[in-house]
Amino acid sequence: MSAGAESSVLASRDPAQPEPIISVQDLVVRYGDNTVLHGVNLDVLPGETMVILGGSGSGKSTMLRHIEALAKPASGRIFIKGVDVTRASEKELVEIRRIMGISFQSAAMFNSMTVGDNVALPLREHTKLAEPTIKLMTRMKLEQVGLGGVEDLFPSQLSGGMKKRASVARALAMDPEILMFDEPSAGLDPIIAAGIDELILHLKSAFKMTIIVVTHELESAFLIADRLCMLRKGTMIAVGTKDEIRNSGHPRIRQFLDRVADEAGEDQGAYLERLTER
Amino acid sequence: MNALETVGKSTIEKVEYVGGLTVQFWRGLRSSWRANPITGNRLRWKSTVRQMAIVGVHALPVVCLISACTGLILALQAGAELRQFGALQFVINLVGVSMTRELGPLMTAVVVIGRSGSAFSAEIGTMVVTEEIDALRSMALDPVEFVLVPKYLAMMAMMPCLTIAADTAGILAGGIYTFYALDMSMNLYVQATLEVLLTRDIVSGLVKSIAFGTIIVHVGCFEGFIVRGGPEGVGRATTSAVVKSIFLVVLADLLFTAFFYFFWQ
Repeated sequence: MSAGAESSVLASRDPAQPEPIISVQDLVVRYGDNTVLHGVNLDVLPGETMVILGGSGSGKSTMLRHIEALAKPASGRIFIKGVDVTRASEKELVEIRRIMGISFQSAAMFNSMTVGDNVALPLREHTKLAEPTIKLMTRMKLEQVGLGGVEDLFPSQLSGGMKKRASVARALAMDPEILMFDEPSAGLDPIIAAGIDELILHLKSAFKMTIIVVTHELESAFLIADRLCMLRKGTMIAVGTKDEIRNSGHPRIRQFLDRVADEAGEDQGAYLERLTER
Repeated sequence: MNALETVGKSTIEKVEYVGGLTVQFWRGLRSSWRANPITGNRLRWKSTVRQMAIVGVHALPVVCLISACTGLILALQAGAELRQFGALQFVINLVGVSMTRELGPLMTAVVVIGRSGSAFSAEIGTMVVTEEIDALRSMALDPVEFVLVPKYLAMMAMMPCLTIAADTAGILAGGIYTFYALDMSMNLYVQATLEVLLTRDIVSGLVKSIAFGTIIVHVGCFEGFIVRGGPEGVGRATTSAVVKSIFLVVLADLLFTAFFYFFWQ
C-alpha cells in the first residue's frame, strides 16, 4: 500500500487475485454543487470482508448506497458480478438486488409489520414457497442471528441491538452472496456492539459470503475485516490489509487510528467558503 | 442571484416536480394493473382493505357532518335571496344540483386531503427518513407498488362512496330548511329532489371524485417520497401536500366543470 500525499492512492491489483465481485471505478457523487465522492476506486474480492473506514461525512454511507444501486452517481461505474449497476435496467437491478442484502444504520424495520413478517417479506414477494415453509425459514433466519421466538413481536418492542439483528435476518432471507452493513454498532452499547461483531464473524465463517461493513469503530473494524479501505472527504486514501493499514505512515490514517483531533483553524478557509456560499 | 436566475431555478424546480409526479402516476397505473383483483396477479388485498377502512370508513362521519352543514348553509343562503322573488321552491333544485355536481365531491376531497393526503406524506416521509423506502428497494421491491398502490386502489373505491354519502347528507340537510320554510315534508322534499336531479349531475360529481382521489394520493405520496433531511422535512412535506392537493383539486374541479359545461349539457 502506498501512503504519502493526502490524495495518494492505493494498492494496485495483483494479477493473481480472483476477479472482484464488486468493482467501483472512478465513482463521482454530487449533491447539488457539493461533490461527496471524488473518483473513488475499490475492488472487493469474493468471500472477503471489506471494511470501509472514515470519519463522519467522509462519504462511506454514500458509497454503500451507490453499491446497493439506491442512487445514481454523477459519473463512474460500479460492477457487481460483472453487471454495471449504474447503467443497469430495472430488471437487471432486481436480479442484482436479490443477491445482495443490507442492514441499514437505523435497522429500517417496517414498524407496521411483526418481526416475522419483516423477515418473511422478501420470501413472500420473490418466491412461490408455501406459507408453512416461509414461516419455517423465517424462524431459521431469526435463530441464525440469535433472535429465536420474537417472530410475533413488533419492531417497536425490540431493543436497538435486537432490531439490528432482526434487520440482518431480513437481509439474509434470500441467502445473499453479498451482505452489507451500514454502521452496525452505531448507537449500541459496547456489549451489544461486540455481539454484532460476533454475528458478522459467524456469518463470514458459516456462509463464506462477501461482506462490506461501513464503520468508524476502529476496534470492530480490525476485528472483522480481511481488508480495509479508508475514505477522507470523499477521497479513497488507502486500501490494504489490517497490518498495512495499522502500520501506515499516512498522516490522515495515523490521525484517525491515533484518535487525534483536527488542529484548530485547519479548515477555516473551507468553513468560511461554506458560510458565504449563499 | 439575479432575478433571471431565480425565475429560471424556480421554473426548473416546477418542471422537475411535474415530471416526477407524471412518472409516479404512470408507474402507479402500471403497478395498479398488476395489483388489482381483475387484471393482476400481485394482489395486495390486505393492505388495500386496511387503507379502505382508513381512507373511507373512518372518514364517513366527518364527511357527512361537513356536507350536511354545507347543504344547510346553501339552503339558508339561497332561501334568503329566492324568497324575495317568490321562488323559494327552487332551493330544492339549487341544493340538489350544487351538492351532486360540485360541493359533494369538493367537500369530500377537502376532508380527505386533511385526513389522508397529509397522512400519506407523513407516513412515506417518515419511511424515507428511517430508510424503510431504501430497505424496500434493496429487497428489489418497488415502493410505488408496495406503498402507493394499496392507497390508490382504496381511494378509487372509497372516493365515489364518500361522495355519494356527502351528496345525500347535504341534500337531506337542505330538507331541514324546506321543512321549516315551505312546510314541506322530508318525503316530498326527497321526491322533488329526485325529480330535479339528472343522471349527469350525479355522474359528473362521481367522475370528479375519482380525479380528486387520484390527485390526493399522488401528491400526498410524491411529497413523502421526495422528503430530504430529518423530521423537519416530513413536517414541510405534510404542509406542502395539503396546500398543493387543495390547489390541484380546485384546478381540476374548474377544468372538469368547464368540460361538462361545454360538452355535456
